[in-house]
Amino acid sequence: MSSHSAFAAASDALAACVLGALDGTGGAVQLARYVDDASDTLAALAAVRVLGADTFSPHLLLEGPLPAQDAAVVAKAFDAFPASGASEEAVVARRDHATAVLFARLSGEDTLRVAEPAPVDDAGPAGPAGWAGWCVRMAQLAPLATLVLDGPVHEAARDGALQLCRGVSRSILRRDFPTAVRLVRWLAWLHHEGVGLPLDPGLVAEHVLLVGGAGPRTALDLAIARHLLERRPGKGVKAAHA
Amino acid sequence: MTTIPEPVTRAARAMADRALSWLHANRELGGLPPDTTETMADPDSVYKPLGETTLAASLILRDGVAGPGRLVAAQSLMDFTWEQFGRGDMIYERQLRHTLMTDPLEMYAPFVRCGYRHEGLDRLLAHRSRMRSVNSAEVLPNRRLAVANAARVVGLEHAEDMRTLAGATWLGARPEPWAVNWITAYAMTHTVFHLTDWGGNPSGLPPELASYLHDWLPVWIDVWREVGQWDLVTELLIVGASLEEPYCPPEDWEAIAGLQHEDGFVPRDSDPVDDDPQRRFTDHQHTVVVTAVAGSIALARAQGRR
Repeated sequence: MSSHSAFAAASDALAACVLGALDGTGGAVQLARYVDDASDTLAALAAVRVLGADTFSPHLLLEGPLPAQDAAVVAKAFDAFPASGASEEAVVARRDHATAVLFARLSGEDTLRVAEPAPVDDAGPAGPAGWAGWCVRMAQLAPLATLVLDGPVHEAARDGALQLCRGVSRSILRRDFPTAVRLVRWLAWLHHEGVGLPLDPGLVAEHVLLVGGAGPRTALDLAIARHLLERRPGKGVKAAHA
Repeated sequence: MTTIPEPVTRAARAMADRALSWLHANRELGGLPPDTTETMADPDSVYKPLGETTLAASLILRDGVAGPGRLVAAQSLMDFTWEQFGRGDMIYERQLRHTLMTDPLEMYAPFVRCGYRHEGLDRLLAHRSRMRSVNSAEVLPNRRLAVANAARVVGLEHAEDMRTLAGATWLGARPEPWAVNWITAYAMTHTVFHLTDWGGNPSGLPPELASYLHDWLPVWIDVWREVGQWDLVTELLIVGASLEEPYCPPEDWEAIAGLQHEDGFVPRDSDPVDDDPQRRFTDHQHTVVVTAVAGSIALARAQGRR
């Protein structure tokens, strides 16, 4: 039986693998080989589900292909760990949907059959949770801050640029660097979208990298943010609803 | 009329009235030790707190929004501290013996605001203000603003350009809000206090700095509320109430009003409070002063006084 720690270790290993592909220190991500070589197949499939949309970062940001055998691994991971449809897991549902949208775009297959999340979780920064609570949720939705994806969450991000900057500042001052890093991804995405920000996203990205960049998941978030910051604003492939 | 939400007005009235009552009831605990002279070893122990109490009372009298009984109490506090300073003689002696010190001028300003004058000190300050040595003393930019505002209140001729001074402060740079620390936050609040003359002139704050504060006050209040830094949070409330378009969230004001004891006491932070009356006064007097000032400024804004 795979343990929670085995799942976490597998997620870190896959994140390191994706990071290597993204920053050029490793080869292309080979999901099929990653799962085949894993001592704990279930944990490896869980890692694919945990990383979700971020698994496709090299394919999106470096515009590489998603081989059929790797696409099959993603489908297998969804079989092993079915997508959440529970309304109380709105964030998970939204992330699963984003993963499915990217999968369909990259593989040309729409086989994951993930339902469109209910719009009830799309309240913006003026919602009942206030800007601070909304930012926590946006940090959980950081995998959506990437190319191609666009939808209600992204619209809320555009409307809440100042609030996201507040969330980054709050997280840094509270030394909650994991949350800060995830929100920095949204700032990078907004910068790429050409949205004006009251913070310098490059400076704050470098700061959180220096003070809180430990761990492959965090490093991957920051690498994605850097790609978005360095990419010419507005340059990207056609958006897909997520 | 300026928009101050009704719950804030309610909280502000309780904060100001009760804080003033506490300062008045406990004033003897803040008296100068017998035989204190102008050369004091530790001016921060009693001399500076007496000045803070004077400031709070003077602003309540200036704002004029307290009930008649409170205004009498504020006047009584001013009389008490004026007597403590030997009707200005001690401030005069301190300025006379220490030409470059700025605290006598700052100490005197709230008295002048309320009509208390010391002829010798007026002459000495006017003389001093003509000295290049005095006007070139090296002080932190936010402290330079404090001196400039005190000089303005006292009516000295040497006028500084407040906007130029503001540009040299931390706030003036509109810096990364995530890089603020506790002591810098205090410096920032004082930059606002002096530029707006303690909330009396909101337009004294350049609009770009007001806009910056609207952006980041919510963050700073949130993080320092979370760690129970009530003294700093209340100073941040003053900043919000001093903006041309005030930033006064009811939940923040109600949080401080909710901390206040029936007798007006407000703890400076979330640490345990000592039962010893003198210790209690020494540790928390500043926070009660800040609470009184916050309440008075918000009430004045609510009543459209400025």
